[in-house]
Parts: sequence; C-alpha cells; structure tokens
Amino acid sequence: MDQILAPAQEGMDRLLELLGRHSQAAEWYTALVRFLFPVLALLILTRAIRGLLRVPHAAECWGQLALPGGGSIPILHWENILGRSPSADVRLDLPTVSRQHAALLRDDRGLWKVTDLGSKGGTLVNGRPVTEPIPIRMGDSLSVGGVELLFLPLSREEEEELAARRRGERPLSMWPSLLWLTLFQVLAAVQLTLSREKPNVLCPLVFLALSLVMWLYCLILRGAGVKGFEMETIAFFLSTLSLAVTGSSAPGAMVKQLAAVVLGLVLMVALGVWMRDTARIQKMRWLMAALALGLLSVTLVIGRTKFGAANWIILGPFSFQPSEVAKICYIFAGAAGLERLFQKRNLGLFMVMTGACLLCLALMSDFGTACIFFATFLVIAYLRSGDFATLSLVCGGALFAGVLVLHFKPYILRRFASWGHAWEAASTTGYQQTRAMSAAASGGLVGVGAGRGWLYKLPAADTDLVFGMLCEEWGLLIAVLAVLSILTLAVFAARSCRVGRSAFPTIAACAAGSLLVVQTGLNVFGAMDLLPLTGVTFPFLSNGGSAMMASWGLLAFLKATDTREGASFAIRRVKNGKKEASGHEED
Amino acid sequence: MKKIEKRAALCLVLAGFLAAGLALFLFRFAADGSHWASSPFNRHLYNSEGALISGTVLDRNGDMLSTVQDGKRVYTNGKTRRKATLHVVGDPYGNISTGALSAFAQELTGYTLLGGAYGAEKGSDLYLTIDAGLNETAYEALNGKKGTVAVYNYKTGEVLCLVSAPSYDPRSIPQDLETNEKYEGAYLNRFLSSTFPPGSVFKTVTLAAALEQLPDLEERTWTCEGSAQIGGGMVTCTAAHGEQTISEALANSCNVVFGQLAAELGGDTLNRYVEKAGLTDSYSVSGISTAKGSFDLKGVADNDLAWAGVGQYHDSVNPCSLMVYMGAIANGGKAAVPCLIQKVDRPGLPDLPQFTRSTGRLLNRETADKIADMMVNNVSAAYGTKRFPDMDLGAKSGTAQVGADQKPHAWFAGFLRDEEHPYAFVVLVENGGSGAEVAGTVASKVLKAAVQ
Repeated sequence: MDQILAPAQEGMDRLLELLGRHSQAAEWYTALVRFLFPVLALLILTRAIRGLLRVPHAAECWGQLALPGGGSIPILHWENILGRSPSADVRLDLPTVSRQHAALLRDDRGLWKVTDLGSKGGTLVNGRPVTEPIPIRMGDSLSVGGVELLFLPLSREEEEELAARRRGERPLSMWPSLLWLTLFQVLAAVQLTLSREKPNVLCPLVFLALSLVMWLYCLILRGAGVKGFEMETIAFFLSTLSLAVTGSSAPGAMVKQLAAVVLGLVLMVALGVWMRDTARIQKMRWLMAALALGLLSVTLVIGRTKFGAANWIILGPFSFQPSEVAKICYIFAGAAGLERLFQKRNLGLFMVMTGACLLCLALMSDFGTACIFFATFLVIAYLRSGDFATLSLVCGGALFAGVLVLHFKPYILRRFASWGHAWEAASTTGYQQTRAMSAAASGGLVGVGAGRGWLYKLPAADTDLVFGMLCEEWGLLIAVLAVLSILTLAVFAARSCRVGRSAFPTIAACAAGSLLVVQTGLNVFGAMDLLPLTGVTFPFLSNGGSAMMASWGLLAFLKATDTREGASFAIRRVKNGKKEASGHEED
Repeated sequence: MKKIEKRAALCLVLAGFLAAGLALFLFRFAADGSHWASSPFNRHLYNSEGALISGTVLDRNGDMLSTVQDGKRVYTNGKTRRKATLHVVGDPYGNISTGALSAFAQELTGYTLLGGAYGAEKGSDLYLTIDAGLNETAYEALNGKKGTVAVYNYKTGEVLCLVSAPSYDPRSIPQDLETNEKYEGAYLNRFLSSTFPPGSVFKTVTLAAALEQLPDLEERTWTCEGSAQIGGGMVTCTAAHGEQTISEALANSCNVVFGQLAAELGGDTLNRYVEKAGLTDSYSVSGISTAKGSFDLKGVADNDLAWAGVGQYHDSVNPCSLMVYMGAIANGGKAAVPCLIQKVDRPGLPDLPQFTRSTGRLLNRETADKIADMMVNNVSAAYGTKRFPDMDLGAKSGTAQVGADQKPHAWFAGFLRDEEHPYAFVVLVENGGSGAEVAGTVASKVLKAAVQ
C-alpha cells in the first residue's frame, strides 16, 4: 500500500514545498474558505431539506369503493381500515358499521384480501360472509355492516390525472447539491492537507474516493430510474464532515471511515431492495429479533471496554460495536404490519425482547444506547398500539428500575454527577463537557478552520464530543445545519405516514427517524452539558465504523417509506392497472 | 394507516424536543459562550500555563506593560512599575479578574462570540488610559500600606492612575502569596471591587441633602462643645469646634453639626440623596462592574442615623463611585463614567472610537457648585494650600473608625477645578490614621505628578 502511494505522496510533498515558499498562502486559503464552507453547506442542505419537507404529496391510489348512493372513496394504502371511526382509512359513518369494521389489504403481487375485525354487523364479499381473510377482486361487491360497496379500479381518466399530479411532485433534482458537495469535499481536503504538519496523501485521496463513490451511487441509481436523492445528499454531506473530523483527530482512521461509508451504502441498498418484498419481511422478523438479542448477548460475553462501556468486540485488527447493528435488527423486529396490530396484546413479546436488550446494554454500562433503545421502543410501541396507559406504565416501570439500579450501584450516578454543573467540576467529571463547550465557543459562526482546533487532542473528541469539534473547526452554522438535517429526516418520516403504503415501513421509518433524533440529542446535549454525557455517537458524523454503517442502514427504513413517484429504490414500482390485471390472471 | 399517521405525532414530538434543545443550546451559547471560551484551558486563547496567548497591554503613553514573547507572557521592566500596574494589567493566571489580561481578554486576542478565536494568536495592542509613571508615584506614595489611589478625568472618563495595594511582582510571584497576611486581598482591585466605611468624606452627601432640604442652612450657625446628645446617645468630635457656619463645620469636619443635620433630615431623605449620588449603584468601567456601596439609613434610631450621617454606623462605599461623585461635584452635578481602555489597535483593522458616557444627574447644579466652593475652602482652611501648590483643589478628608483595636482608614477625596486638568481623585489608606494627614499626603504627591 505504502509503495503504491509513495509516488503520489512524493508529488504532493513537492507541491506543498512549492506552496511553502509562499508562507501566507495557507493562511489566506483558510481565511477564505472558512467563510465559503457554511455557504456551500447551506446550498447543499437547503435544497435537500426543502425537498424532504414537501412531503406529504399526492398519495398513490390503488382503487376505489363505490358507494350505493353514488360517489366513491379512494383506496390510498395497501393496508386500509374500514369503519365508523374518524381514524378509519375508509370511513363509513353509519350506525350499523363498527368503529373498526374490516381491513382491506393488498400484497406485493397486487392481490387484495378482506378481513373482518370482529364487527357486529358482519362483512360480506359477493354475499359470502367473511370469517377468515378472503380474497377480493376488482369488480367484487363488498358489504360492510349492511352498506353495499363496489370494489373498483380507478377509471382511466382518474388514473391519468393522478399520475400527472404525482409527476408534478417529482423529487427536487439533487444535481446542484451534489456539485456543491463535491466542491465542499475538494476544498475540505485541501484545507485539511494544508493544516497538517506532515500531510499524508491519503487524506485528499480519501475525500476524492468519497466523491467518486457518491457520484457512482447517484449515477447508477439514476440510470435505474430512481429520482430522489435528498436523504443520500444529507448522509453524504454528514459523512464528508465525518471524514473531515476524523482527518483532524485520527488521520490514520480515514481509510477505515471511508470503508465504513461504502459498506454502509451497500447495506442500505441491500436492506432497501430486500424490503420491497413484504412477505419476506414477515418471515425475517423473528430472525432479526434473534439477531438483535444475539448480537447484544455475545457482546456481553466477549465485549471489551472502551471509554467506559463494555460494548466492543475485538477480532484481530477489527473492532466493532455490535450494539450499532443491533439497532437496525431491533427496528426490523419491532415494526409490524397492520394485520398484527389488531391482535390483542400484540406488544407482549416485543416488550420481553426490549427488556432483554435493555438488560444486556445496562450490564455493558452502555446507558446511552439503552436510552436510544428505550426511546425507539416507545415510538414503535405507541405506533403499534396507541395505548397511552400501558406505555405510561412501562415508563413508570423503567423509571423505577432506573432508580433501583442507581440505588444498588450508586457509582453509576457518579458518572452523571456533574450534569448541569460541568463548570464546577471542570477538572474532574465535567472535564470533557467543559472542554467541548470551550472549544465550541471558540469557533464562532464559521469555525477556526478544519484541522486547526485543539479539542481533537482529547479522547473521544471525534465521537462523543464531535459536536464540540464541529463547532470549533467548522463553526456554529454548519453544526446547527447538521442537527437540522437529522431533524428533517425524522419530520420526513412522520409526515410521510399519510402517504405510506403499509404499516411496516411506516412504523420502521418513524422508529428510525426517532432513533436518529434521540441519538443526535443525546450526543449534542451530552457534550454541551444540557443532558448527562452518555457517550453515544452523532449519526453519520462521529468517527466509528459500526456507527457509520448503522446510520446508513437506518436510512434504508426511511427510503422504504418514500412513496413519491420513482423517488426511492426501496419502493417497488407498480403500474396500477397492469399489476391488477396480472393479479387477475394469476388468480 | 390513518391511525398510525396520528400516532406518528410522537415522532414529531421527539423532533420537537431536539429542536427545543437546540434552541436552548443556542441561547446558552449566546449568553455564556464568551465565558466558556475564556477558560484557561482554551488553547486558542491561553497557552499551556494558562496565560493569555497574545495581546499587548500599553499605558496611555504607549509604554508596554505586558506582552507575549516567544509564546510566554512577559511584563514591563521595573519592579515598582510592575507592582504599581499589576491590578490594571492583571496577573498571568487570571486571579485578578479585573485586570486587563482577564477583563479585556477579548479585546487583546480579538476573540468574539460570532467571529470565534480565529486569528487570536496575532493579538491586539490595548492602550490603557492609565499613566504608568503616575501609578508608580501613587504606589510609592502608599509606602507599603494597603489601600487604593485613583485619579480620573471627570470630563472624558479616562482613569489616569489606578493603584491597589497590597500588590506583588507578577514576574516573580511570591511563594507565600496566598498565606502571608501582608498579601491579604492582593488579588482584589480595591478601587473597583471593594467597599469601605467612608467616614467624613460622606459629609459631602449629607451636605447635599441639607443644602436642598433646609433653605436656611447657610444662615444657620452651630456651636460645637466637642460632643452632643442626639437621640439616645452621644455624637462626639475630635475637639470642641465652637461657633461655626456650615462651611466652617465642613472644614472642621464637625460630627456634631452633621450628626444633627442627618437626624433633622431623617433616614428616608438621606437615603434618597445617597441613591441619587450613585453610591449604591454599580458603574461599568469599560465593562468591569464596580462594587455597590451599602447604607442602612431607613428606620434606624436617631443616634445611629447621626453617626451614619458622618459616614460611620453601617455605611460602606466603593472608592470608584465616591470618585465619580467628586467629579460630579466639580462638574456641575454630572460626570463622565470612568473607563480604562483608551484604544484597541487590531492589526489590519481600523481603531474603534471610544465613547465617553456620562452618569445621570448625581446632584443639582447649584448644590454641586456650593459644595465645590466649600470643598475648595476646606483646602485653604484646613488641609493647607502649600501642600497642593498651584492647584484649584477641592477636597474632603475622612478618618473612618473601623474598630477599637485598629487604626482608622484614612480617606482623601476631591477634584481639581482646572480646564486643563479636570481630575477627580480618591485616596484610601487602610488603617492609615488621619485622613487629612496620611491620605492627604499621598494625594499631594500624586496630584503634583498628575498636573506636571
């Protein structure tokens, strides 16, 4: 490796030597680009954020239910509830209809089924009572509590009108953002190289490679007809910052970090493509649950301690944090299809699994990740059950358990003792926070320049305290933008529920969005002493291979809920009419 | 699906928490960011010894007082000069929080909250308003006693001389600095951050109240027999002053007269004039907040009020606010707020103009002029014009009792009525003895040097 790079290194050294004769050149460069970076960041991110916040858009429409007195109700999802309740997807406000009367479900092949949800009035398909899920085809009649409905496809005109509307809401083109991002990467690479005493040629090469990966990814997917790249733009932007931060604190780890981005990208695409098939998802959920638990318990047994938490597995030259990958498995196992949501006590097993995960994490002393899992649990459980009372009880129980743990292991409390009083314990338990805050306040709006800070000399500066480093070297503007872009992902997940196809990807996206938000919050506010410092990473941004991969992996859940016309590779593209027709033939 | 959509609000709530937290962080960043940055471990602004990384402090004549050489903070040559300017320049480690190296660290390094510490290693030249030579004179005049001396221009606000003692040499910091009794309070700038019982200098405030509240004051005469019964106790003088007008009573610093006046005016009235005089307020001296004086005048017994009226009882005053009051007496009731920064020279940037701020009205114009005349009379009648040659000086001494087993604090405060030298001054010698003699002598030396 060194030999291959030797000529490049020599070339760069010679170039820098040439520059060295103009000693002011580097100074001038930094003075200029530090103002340029926030502008570029704004150009890159506003477009991406604007694109994502345009959701919800016009929903896909899969058919309609014609009412007896004329008129019809469109069917907007793959999983629909028919009933009297205002929250029913097809609302039939008649006394004979139960609140949640029946479910109308579609599978990947375009076959529809009707399930009665224990209604009083009964459900009939073509006059046959529905006792177990039975198929229904376009043109069939459906009787819900005595209301006669006709299950019809959209008319040609309606379909064309909808298609036209959806075409009008195509995702924003991200090419300008990607071009700006490339410029950002080039400038950042030069800045980092100039700020080093002994620059390594790997630093600019890694940035170059990231640019290439980014363009390759986007061009290949665009070639495959995918049009939405907002989330990837955000992720690539944050990954660029991650490389920059790593280049400042641990230049040797840059190649590893780049590899993590590539692996994460592959993981995201694989997961996304794989999730197109809903049947596969149902089968895999048990495996995923087992995997999450397995990863955590294996870590518990052979895990090593780094920075206070025993959550590392070290295999030869590789070390990784299985708890990061477990996050993906956990969401996968937790999110459920709509069918399951009507089964009573559907949360029981999930709670047991969560409990086991939390226990493992607590035993590893990884309280930050435990917090993240718990918050994710609450989101999934609430989305699945809507049961406020039970969840309040669970929260109370968790609080009690927490107090109990602190009572028997009071030394845990000491780790968090300086919370809110970091400055009074600046040389002991508040050491990291005060340094991070001081460095952050030294950056001003545009930062002192990449590689020119001092916080990177602290242990965990590029992971737990990365927000401080970001403020110091890149400035408050970029740091705030980084948080805002994570925030956008969560808002996107929540708002895209309205136009989601089915429950699983919707719940999974909300869970992933919430997880990213909670993790970001714990990282940022932990470093800035607004919350106890729990040592979690900033998604995409912190130096760490497993964390980087997990962040990209989580993005797959968000991609799987992006139902805009041709926006996401993780959404199976369906031509409405055709698919229905083929459904008929197969049947 | 609609159900889930509603429940997804939880996801928005979490996002809301993150947004709120971010807003809270930004708020705290804006409010406290400068404090966070000014931590001695911040390597953008401080070196590994915790000393400010850049910036040169100079006096008004451009004489260097402290600068950075080869990454180390160094001080001017001359031991006395270093000691005499220590409290305005500051120690290297930030123990003297009102020193320029701490209080004006932002000006010295060019750090700002929004601009950050970029380029802080270049540093600025900060010109103080003080004259280091005058400080030396004042420090030597204090002759090893604890206390403070300050002179300022009541028209522009520039502080020309500011000494606080005990002091020490920042180049070779004494080992026993924090244990030896003789260095007690060495980190404190007594002029800005301390309060002391004012003793008789406070009579200038009681006088202002009496001049405005008692119309026949200037026609009255009093006979002092050395002591008098006021309320439930005695008020005593150093001697029997005999029959005297108000002007003579001030020159004699007669406790009996001013005690009676205080009792006659009442606590509420006196309190009003104390507050109007700015003695209970904090001034912002180039951003450094001065200590507030405190007085306990309302609803106290007549005898206590009489003692309070002559600057004893629970009275305590900050030397800076007293000096500003003196400036206001000389200047027709208003004076400039003191400042310590003359200009900041930042390489590559234009100098920012320094503005003079004025106090509110501390006295009515006529009252101020009358008091000023009487204080000028004090010098000829009591303190001796010979000690202050060629000066149109108004002054009031004070000898503040601080306890039975200690010598009293010696005060001497006043002003020059001189277009060229519009200076107000204050001298305090802790446990110095007689105000007129001890503090007056210090004032004499400093003022002679100041008007040269």
